Amino acid sequence: MDERRTGWVLIIVLVGQLVYLAIQGARAGETRLEGVGLRVLGPMAHGVASIPEELSGAREGVKLRGTLLEENRQLRREAADLRLQLLRLTDVEGELLRLGNAVRYPTPPAGRIRAVDIVYADHTSWLRTLILYTGEVEARRNQPVLSPDGLVGRVVHVAGPYAKVQLITDRAAGVGGMILRTRRQGVVRGGLGTGLELDYVPLQADVRPGDRVLTAGIDGVYPRGIPIGTVASVEPGGQLFHRINVAPAVDFGTLDQVYLLEYQAVPQTLKETSPSGKP
Amino acid sequence: MESLKLIATIALAALVHFIGVRLWPDFARAVDVFLVLVALHGLRGNSLSGLLVGLLVGLLQDTLTSGPFGLFGFADTIIGYVTARLAQRLVIQRPTGVLALVSFAAVLQQAITVGLAFLLLPAPETPSPVWAVIRAGACGVLGMAIYIVAGRWRNSSETRRRGRMSRLRLG
Repeated sequence: MDERRTGWVLIIVLVGQLVYLAIQGARAGETRLEGVGLRVLGPMAHGVASIPEELSGAREGVKLRGTLLEENRQLRREAADLRLQLLRLTDVEGELLRLGNAVRYPTPPAGRIRAVDIVYADHTSWLRTLILYTGEVEARRNQPVLSPDGLVGRVVHVAGPYAKVQLITDRAAGVGGMILRTRRQGVVRGGLGTGLELDYVPLQADVRPGDRVLTAGIDGVYPRGIPIGTVASVEPGGQLFHRINVAPAVDFGTLDQVYLLEYQAVPQTLKETSPSGKP
Repeated sequence: MESLKLIATIALAALVHFIGVRLWPDFARAVDVFLVLVALHGLRGNSLSGLLVGLLVGLLQDTLTSGPFGLFGFADTIIGYVTARLAQRLVIQRPTGVLALVSFAAVLQQAITVGLAFLLLPAPETPSPVWAVIRAGACGVLGMAIYIVAGRWRNSSETRRRGRMSRLRLG
């Protein structure tokens, strides 16, 4: 093919891609091509991710007996503490349910969690991603993803046993958050670098460094009470709102396994319905 | 045969990328193996093949990012075409020429993706300039290393082939 025709092919391909990008932006949904790519690259990433596990398993085998005994003792102590904590919390839960029943308060169902492996993680570059291997039971779109330390993100794309996660540190991500001490609500967004920002908190609101930030349960995706992070600094942002930087509760660099929360998100149709009832 | 070789090379690049990210979390920020592959393929001088390989590899790369799907597909299509056109006009025989070309391709790719991100995303984050320079340099060095190794391998296989042919003639 001569260069002139190739130039035309280039223009057609580029215009096609621009149109595709524009349509995709308007729909903000899943794309079939992305699913194909995830199915092709997912098994490869899964294969690479499983190699270090085997190596670390072999390394554990040659660990000194003394270290293992000490570790065992420490874990027993932790388990005893956790058992006590569980007893106390069960008591509190029972009390809460009784009080809730007395005033007929519909308590939101507590979601079950399921551990899944991370097969690919890129949390440092400006387009951050996490790919999970969920096994036979597929993940759902918008399913919350947690770690023992707090909120990680939500599932944005599912392709068979693989799922792509949007991290809360992503610039395009938004989470309804609240400051635990004052219950003041705002929107948590990905900040510059690997930090977070809490937006729309008015200047008159009391916010201090060290305040814990949890999910507020108002975005229809995440349930209330999951730790997001801690307020790192508070500055007067503009005429109306604070500029609040939040340090994430989760250290994304140490994640190798996360939990999918079985939580019934608010249906999209309900979210898109206007107060007058017209969608 | 040629397309099989290409698929194997793309698979190898993906494998290197996954292993790199597993061993060093900043790997994806510092080196773009997929871009090096597209730029080196473009060096062959076939612009149609360059743009198509760029499109394919870029879309695969898009699967591994959280940005809009097609961002790298768009950028790598241009990279594939531009490097092929440059290879048609310039005689690149020295490894330093390859280093310069791949580094230029890395800078161009970042400029295109950032430009598109500003057009498409509400609050895009730009990559840090320090990492952009590291990435361009690392891609250039990787491209040059692959070019040198591939050149030596080609030369040695050619010598072996000639040796076999001369033995056949003598026999």
